[in-house]
Amino acid sequence: MSVFSPRSADGGPIIDFDPVSCCLEIEGLSLAYGETPALRELTLRVPRHRVTAFIGPSGCGKSTLLRALNRLHDLNDEVHLSGRIRLEGQDIHAPEMEVAELRRRVGMVFQAPNPFPMSIYDNVAFGLRLQGGIRKRQLDDVVEWALRSSALWDEVKDRLKSSAWALSGGQQQRLVIARTLAVRPEVLLLDEPASALDPISTLKIEELIRNLKSQLTLVLVTHNMQQAARVSDYTAFLQEGELVEYGTTDTLFTNPRLARTENYITGRMA
Amino acid sequence: MIGRARLPRGEGVWPWLAAGSLALSLLMLAGLLFLLAVRGMGHFWPSPLTLVTLEDGRLLAGQAVREERQPNAAGRERLYLTGNRDLDGAIWRWVAVDEIAEESRPRDLVVLERTRWGSFQGRLLALEERGERVEGEAAWAALQARLQELAALRAERDRLRDEIVVPLVRRMEREPLAEAELARASARIRELQARIAGGRLLLESVDGRRLEQPLEQVLRAWRPNAMSPPAKVAAWGGGVWRFLAEGPRAANSAGGVWPAIFGTVLMVLLMSVVVTPFGVLAAIYLNEIAHQGRLTHLVRIAVRNLAGVPSIVYGVFGLGVFVYGIGGSLDEWFFADQLPSPTFGTGGLLWASLTLALLTLPVVIVATEEGLARVPDHQREGALALGATRVEMLTRVVLPMTAPAMLTGVILAVARAAGEVAPLMLVGVAKLAPQVPVDGDFPFLHLERKFMHLGYHIYDVAFHGSDVQAALPLVYATALLLVLVILVLNLTAIFLRHHLRARHGALPRR
Amino acid sequence: MIDPLPPRDLPRHQWRRLRDRLATLLITAGGIGVVVTVMAIGVFLALEVAPLFLEAGRSLGWRELWQPRWQPGTLPGESPLFGLQPLAWGTLKAAFWALLFAVPLALGAAVHSALFMPPRLRSRLKPTLELMEAMPGVVVGFVAGLVLAPWLDRHLAGALALLICLPVGLLLAGLAWRRLPAAWRHRLPHGWAGLWLMPWLALLVVSALWLSPWLEALLFGGDLRGWLEAHAGLGYASRNALIVGLAMGFAVIPGIYALAEDALSGVPANLGEGAQALGATRWQSLWKVVLPAAAPGVLSAVMIGAGRAVGETMIVLMASGNTGLMTLSPLEGMRSMAASIAIELPEAVPGGIHYRLLFLVALVLFVFTFLVNTLAELVHARLRSRYRRLGGRS
Repeated sequence: MSVFSPRSADGGPIIDFDPVSCCLEIEGLSLAYGETPALRELTLRVPRHRVTAFIGPSGCGKSTLLRALNRLHDLNDEVHLSGRIRLEGQDIHAPEMEVAELRRRVGMVFQAPNPFPMSIYDNVAFGLRLQGGIRKRQLDDVVEWALRSSALWDEVKDRLKSSAWALSGGQQQRLVIARTLAVRPEVLLLDEPASALDPISTLKIEELIRNLKSQLTLVLVTHNMQQAARVSDYTAFLQEGELVEYGTTDTLFTNPRLARTENYITGRMA
Repeated sequence: MIGRARLPRGEGVWPWLAAGSLALSLLMLAGLLFLLAVRGMGHFWPSPLTLVTLEDGRLLAGQAVREERQPNAAGRERLYLTGNRDLDGAIWRWVAVDEIAEESRPRDLVVLERTRWGSFQGRLLALEERGERVEGEAAWAALQARLQELAALRAERDRLRDEIVVPLVRRMEREPLAEAELARASARIRELQARIAGGRLLLESVDGRRLEQPLEQVLRAWRPNAMSPPAKVAAWGGGVWRFLAEGPRAANSAGGVWPAIFGTVLMVLLMSVVVTPFGVLAAIYLNEIAHQGRLTHLVRIAVRNLAGVPSIVYGVFGLGVFVYGIGGSLDEWFFADQLPSPTFGTGGLLWASLTLALLTLPVVIVATEEGLARVPDHQREGALALGATRVEMLTRVVLPMTAPAMLTGVILAVARAAGEVAPLMLVGVAKLAPQVPVDGDFPFLHLERKFMHLGYHIYDVAFHGSDVQAALPLVYATALLLVLVILVLNLTAIFLRHHLRARHGALPRR
Repeated sequence: MIDPLPPRDLPRHQWRRLRDRLATLLITAGGIGVVVTVMAIGVFLALEVAPLFLEAGRSLGWRELWQPRWQPGTLPGESPLFGLQPLAWGTLKAAFWALLFAVPLALGAAVHSALFMPPRLRSRLKPTLELMEAMPGVVVGFVAGLVLAPWLDRHLAGALALLICLPVGLLLAGLAWRRLPAAWRHRLPHGWAGLWLMPWLALLVVSALWLSPWLEALLFGGDLRGWLEAHAGLGYASRNALIVGLAMGFAVIPGIYALAEDALSGVPANLGEGAQALGATRWQSLWKVVLPAAAPGVLSAVMIGAGRAVGETMIVLMASGNTGLMTLSPLEGMRSMAASIAIELPEAVPGGIHYRLLFLVALVLFVFTFLVNTLAELVHARLRSRYRRLGGRS
């Protein structure tokens, strides 16, 4: 196994964590759609029970990276991937790693709310029912807990049996988070979770993200600089598939080391 | 030509021709449906019987069917349905309208529906039975009572024959003990037969020729000119019911189409049992599992194009592969004792269903694929991200959302199969199949038997009957029935598809 | 506050994985199986036909196949003749007359509904024409062969009168509409013309038929058929290409209409509107802009219609008379390939020359329709990419 050495493409500063306090280790990750490279030799560590944000211009590969973390690229034959990703020290591409189980441990919330066409209750119970071996009482408890954790319980407790599609956009997104929490993931990946929502719903989601980090590790991809600054502890800046700079959110936003980073953050694109 | 100078702001003549071609297409469709509805339903209406006196004093009683210009003369001529084939040798009569001196509708004219010689139209003189003779108006009342009695006796006889005697005869080969039971049933049938036989009617045509008619050949009798409107409606309803529920008589030119309805429905059911799983499976494979490369793209185009291949080609394939190929081999392996008379090596229900299943596979595949493509990718990813395996994702999220599309596909397939006749001519319909392919005999469903089919019935009666003119009303009725079935199926599919679009319109958009 | 998940149950995990693998395998096997079976049709037909050319001793030459007589009958003392020429001729003739009737009507209807109709009405009209397409061939063939044919037998002049009366009457209607007061025009909008013209057309049909004997007497000495025979040398068969054309045209109109309408209404709206903004009428913008843009789609619609017309069996079987003639006359019958198969194959001896020849005919039909449809698909794909370039909906 190669020595883990976080590095930036053009010498930008990269924060590092000791393996004990980090949850995800990404090492030399390259990914291409067919002939088009999307990620180049990415190496970084994501700390446990913190919010880490990936920012960067459109097409910089941040969503691609997120999807690589729970192997959503598996179904796409076009994608070629090399390098290593370790979850709690375990290689996620190892043969003994069960992809379904990996995805349970690394939950994901997408840009557009995507509740299933079934009742609110069934949406939240979906993942648990797949695992099987859970009694009705237990299921009820978990559903209630998940909905409370995502701050949705009070709004929907009287209509758990009604269709999830009847909820508003913001409620749907929180339902999706609840649905993901219900399977007790260790990591929650959020792919621009608030970009399709109105400002008030966005604030609710952000508050939820801050509250959740006591229980799990969160990785957030966002376009919205202010959002990254508001909710994340660490921020990584990616450009053209390369990691440019990675540090505490405070440092990166107030005192970026590289001109590229500063230009992007202040909105002066080259 | 209408110039633009005369029509400022005008768009010229072409838009009107365009609108007119649409109107003409719709008019043709409406005309076809109207024709089928009127002629198909009208057949069962007890139309009045006209007594026509010609100028030379001759008389005839008949129902006016239509009127035409005379081919080589100035006037018009009218076609009457006069019945009485046994007296006249024909049941139609053309009469020049100019030669008609008088028309009337006497209330005592009688129409008899008979098992031989078609209908009789004329007067009832007397009813004779066991030496008794009833005449005049009393004869009519007696006839009505006696006909009801006969209908009950016939029904019992047919029931005995179909439900007791025929199965017993089949069992005889294995169980000689059944003989006593069989003898009892046969005796009862002979007794019934004796009670049916015997009566005679004395009839007279309007021009005075007399006829003795054995009563057992008479099915029904009515006096159309004396019937009240409610009675006519009741008679019409009865006619429709008999058409739907009875088997054909008189070389398919009379009676009902029940075996054809049954055969069509059974064949279509078997077909959908085959086509649904395979079509859905292929669609899932193409859309969800296959590598979405060039090859899959080509296969998809090819499948789509197969929907445009003529149905007769599928018939040829079915004949070559199913009937002569597989059927022939089955016969050699399992039914060698019955060769050279083929069991599966000839057209039959199974082969017809399989051929039509092949024919309609593209319909189901295309519809299901469309439904699958409509399920947004984020629904799939949502399921996967919760730890579902691919098959769990398919069965729990994707397929439930695709169900209406699949149903639409199957309904369209059924509608197409129900109206398809050409391949069936090669792989298994029969002009007249006395045994329906389902009965009380093991294995109850006889896949190797031939069957009757509504569409083929139309073709056969219309083009191979001895008297097409006489069978025409029945063909109209059959065609109407077939069109109604297909219309209802298509409307259901259209409704479902509309419903489906409305529902997917509510999907959160990416 | 909540129990953690129950400890992971390993056997269940393995069972889920196994189930996934098995089901995927099953779907793959089934899917490939179905696709291969369906594709095997062409291969099978070719295999059945091959001995015809490969077997020594009884193989047929092209010259023999291309003679102008098809007499497979086995009358004593007569050797069968297997010239495919009349069958090919009959098939193409039937398709030609059907398309001659259907293409103008279908394209006219498509233009009207794509350009002039309000969208709500259009969304109702499409399913109605789908119902027309679903009309079984055997019913259309029955009406054509047993109702239309005898009628035309007596009313040939009436049909001729219709051919003249309908367009003239339509133009009159258009002229009259222009002169109507605005309130009336508002009540009979142009977009609904497809509907409110129907009664007018029905009236025209009735009056044309009423006028026809008088017309026949005036122009053709009271006997159009005799006149045709004497002056144009056209014999009349009661089941003829005209009837097949009408009936099969009726059957292919909806298919052509649906595809052409899709192509026309898919043309990005800004194109036509741009032309109209420059002062063109809607019809001019159709000719100059919309139709050229949609041409590949319209072409593929006509090709698909042709494919259907070539393979249609029941209508031709019931309305053409099935005589193996090789004339161009619309008033005489023909025998098509599909109808020959339907009539002769049940009686042909399996493995014999006649049997294999009919398989050859089926193979030709298969290859022809498959190629035409593929070509139509390619043309249509070009259309879609063109629309995408023009920035319309795909």
